[in-house]
Order: sequence, then structure tokens, then C-alpha cells
Amino acid sequence: MEELRKGFHQDLAGAREELARLAALVAELVPRATAVLLDGDLEGAEYLIRGDSEVDERCVELEEHCLRILALQTPVATELRQVVALLKMIAEVERSADLAASICKVARRIYGHPLDPKLRGLIGRMGEQAQQLWVAAIDAFVENDESKAAAVVDMDAYLDALQKQFIQAIFETQSHSSVDLQVAMQLAYVARFYERIGDHAVNIAERVRFVVTGWVPDHRKPERPGVDVTGGFEIPTPGDLPEDS
Amino acid sequence: MPDATVPPEVASRSTDVFTTRDVAVYYGQFRAVRDVNITVHKNEITAFIGPSGCGKSTMLRCFNRMNDLIPTARVEGTVSYHGVNLYDPAVNAVEVRRRIGMVFQKANPFPKSIYDNVAYGPRLSGIKKKSELDAVVEKSLRGAALWDEVKGRLKSGGLGLSGGQQQRLCIARAIAVDPEVLLMDEPCSALDPIATARIEDLMQEIKHEYTIIIVTHNMQQAGRVSDRTAFFTTEVNTESDRRTGVLVEYDQTSKIFSNPADERTEAYISGRFG
Repeated sequence: MEELRKGFHQDLAGAREELARLAALVAELVPRATAVLLDGDLEGAEYLIRGDSEVDERCVELEEHCLRILALQTPVATELRQVVALLKMIAEVERSADLAASICKVARRIYGHPLDPKLRGLIGRMGEQAQQLWVAAIDAFVENDESKAAAVVDMDAYLDALQKQFIQAIFETQSHSSVDLQVAMQLAYVARFYERIGDHAVNIAERVRFVVTGWVPDHRKPERPGVDVTGGFEIPTPGDLPEDS
Repeated sequence: MPDATVPPEVASRSTDVFTTRDVAVYYGQFRAVRDVNITVHKNEITAFIGPSGCGKSTMLRCFNRMNDLIPTARVEGTVSYHGVNLYDPAVNAVEVRRRIGMVFQKANPFPKSIYDNVAYGPRLSGIKKKSELDAVVEKSLRGAALWDEVKGRLKSGGLGLSGGQQQRLCIARAIAVDPEVLLMDEPCSALDPIATARIEDLMQEIKHEYTIIIVTHNMQQAGRVSDRTAFFTTEVNTESDRRTGVLVEYDQTSKIFSNPADERTEAYISGRFG
């Protein structure tokens, strides 16, 4: 059989490529934002924060591209799911780029406050893990691979655990009075930002699953392993006693 | 075997209007369609889609025994209407066609007045009183969303109407004999988008009273109007090089157009291969 609607298929492939490029940009932004935070690099912070508006513009253009496809080509079945998934994924990319910029803004706010080595180590690991999640989500997206998409969900549990450890570490340093309260709050935000960046990668992976199988993510029933819907902010009380056995 | 003389409405209260079992239709030696197993539900619109020659119109004609009128045609398997075998010798084909009306691709009003077009069927079935006929004609024309446009000129010729009006006149004529089922064979393919939208709206309005099966080449139309969609395609017999229609997939229309189970359905509805 001969292939029909070639122009439409190229158009859709073009939109998917742009999404992959934007997602790859997020995967690059995360380690750069981490470096900016750890090095107290004000110039780098400025550069990345300004760069975010370019991502926003490209996201809007891609959204318009998807709307054109819907309006003019009325895709159905897998192609319909691809376009709908793209529209959802654009929002994940755009939010994640914002969060990377937010990490840079924190770098500006805590400039001049030296960071505890343990906190530095955990920030580095959160940054790496968040980036890994994005790389894996992009792989799953480009290859339409459901099992790779499922792996992203598993990887996210580790990032959530790191975030909890980090919050715990902030409390520990706080009790030695080695971090001032404002800095501690900013750092808690940073942990939250990495955790959210990871969640956006998970959402992209879930949309890959939607494209492949038609399964619609149902967030009313959290089925992701290791996700704590409270956000993981458990406040340890001093002198916590072990549970009675 | 259910008693063919029992009125179908009494014979079954199930929501299944038609059930086919292993239906195959032959034109002489040529098998046009084979192995069709399908259940058509009451007060639903069922769409048959598929490429030319896939047997969808042939299958549609099985439901009111229109294939009887083609000398070489032969139907194998069973087509049950409310549990009654439509092809049972005891079943009266004329009565079948009264209960199961048909609207064709090209509007085919009789060369008579609008009134007489609609009153034709009721007169045949014995309604003589003018007041009764008037009531049936008005009810049917209203049912076909045509009354307001033609009520002042019921005596003028049906052929003087526009294409879309003629098609609605044919729908009025079909529903004038109070059928249960309407079979529509590409009813909008000769109409412009506005006239098409009117017919589609009309189908939505009347589906609470009728069960509708529509054959359409317009997949968006199937998506817009139908509750269930059956996708047929053709299979080529490599020995004889003849094509036979087969039913590939039958499911809720939303499922067919968002996530079809069969690759052939996907390729056809997304217009990927031809």
C-alpha cells in the first residue's frame, strides 16, 4: 500500500521533534541551574533566567502548531493521542524550565551564604537525578516505548527520597544554627523545585503510555510507587520515640 | 426457532434489534461479504464505514431484505430481527420493509406533490381518511424537520425542492409508515455541508424513536453522529483475485476513533494508506 497524507505526517513529526528538542533543553538546564546554585554564579543565574522566556515562546509556538494540526488535519486514533499528548507535554516542559529558572533565583537570594557540605552533596544528587528522569522521559517519548516510560515512574521514587533526606538535613543543620532561617527556607524550596521537575518528567512518561496504549493517567488514585501526596514535608519532633512494639 | 408470526416488539424486549450470525452475501458465485457477526442496538445510531467494495452497503441491504430484489443475490447465515429470522420463509418481506425503512444516497422523491410523497406509504397501508392522512403527513414532515419550510406548498412537486430538502422529504416518506428502523445508505454524500448538518442534527433528534444504521464514506460524519461504528475492509483472494468484504472491528465510536483495536482500522480512519 502507498503512504497517504505524507505532508500531515511530516507536520506531526516536526511537532514531535520540537517537543523533544525543548525537553532536551530542560535536561540541559537542570544541571546548569544546579551549578549556578552551588557556585553562587550570579552571571550564570541572570543568563538562565533570561533564557527562560525563549523557552516560553517556543512552547507557545509549538502549542499553536498543535492547534493547527487539530483544526486542519482532524487527526484520529494514535495521531490524535499524539497531538493531545504533545499539548499536555508542552505544559510540563514549560513549567520545568520555569522551575530551573526558579533555582537560579534562589542562587541570587542566598548569595554569600556558604552551604553545608552535606546539603551541597544532596543538591548535586537531586540535580543529577532530576536530569536523569528527563533524559529517560525523552528516550521513552522519542521511541514511544512504554516500558521505558514505566521506568521513569520508578526513578522518581529515588528523587522523592533525596528530597526528604535534604529536608531532614536542613533541620539538622538548623539545629546546629549553621544555616540561617531564610536560607533554610530557600533551600527547602529548591528541594521542592527538583522534586517538581522530576514529577513533570513522570507526567511526560505517563503521556507516552497514553500515546502507546490509550491509558489516561488518573491522578485521583495515585498509583506511582513512593509518591507521598502530602509532599513529604514531615516535621520531625525532637526526641521522636521509636514505635512501641 | 422463534415464531415468525409474533410481532417483533412482543417477541423480544431486549435492546438488541438486529443480530447477525456468520452472514455472507453472494452475487452469483461472487462472495461480496463474509463472516459478519454484529448486534445492532435499539435507539442507537450504528455507522458502517470502510473503503469501496468492502460490503457495507450490501450488508445494510440485508437488514430489510433489499437484496431479495437482486435476482442473483443470496444471503447465508442468519439475520435476526428481535430474535426473528428475517429470512424465514414465513416472514413477509413487504412487512419487513415497512418496519425497516430505507433512505438512499441520491434523494429519490416520486414525481408527485410533497403531500403525496409522504402520504404514499400510509395510503398503501390503508389509511383513506383525509384528516388522518393530513395528520400523518404533518407529523412526518415535522419529524424530518421539513414542515416549516414546505407547509405552505404541500401541493407543489417534491422534485422542485433543493437536494437537502429532497433528502429530508425522503426521510419524511420513510418515517410516515411508522417504521422502527431507518437504514441510510450514504444519505448526505450528494449534499452540501449545511444540508448535511441538518440531516445529522435530524438523526440525533429522531434516534430516540428509531434505530438507525448509516453507511457513510465520511468518517467525520460517522464520528459525529454514531454511537457505534463497524469498520469493514476488503480482502483479496490471491487465487481468484476477487475481493471479499470482511468486518474488521465493531465497537463504540469513541473507541474506534480514539484507540481502535485493529491496525487496519487505524490505518483506514487516519487515512494513512490507500
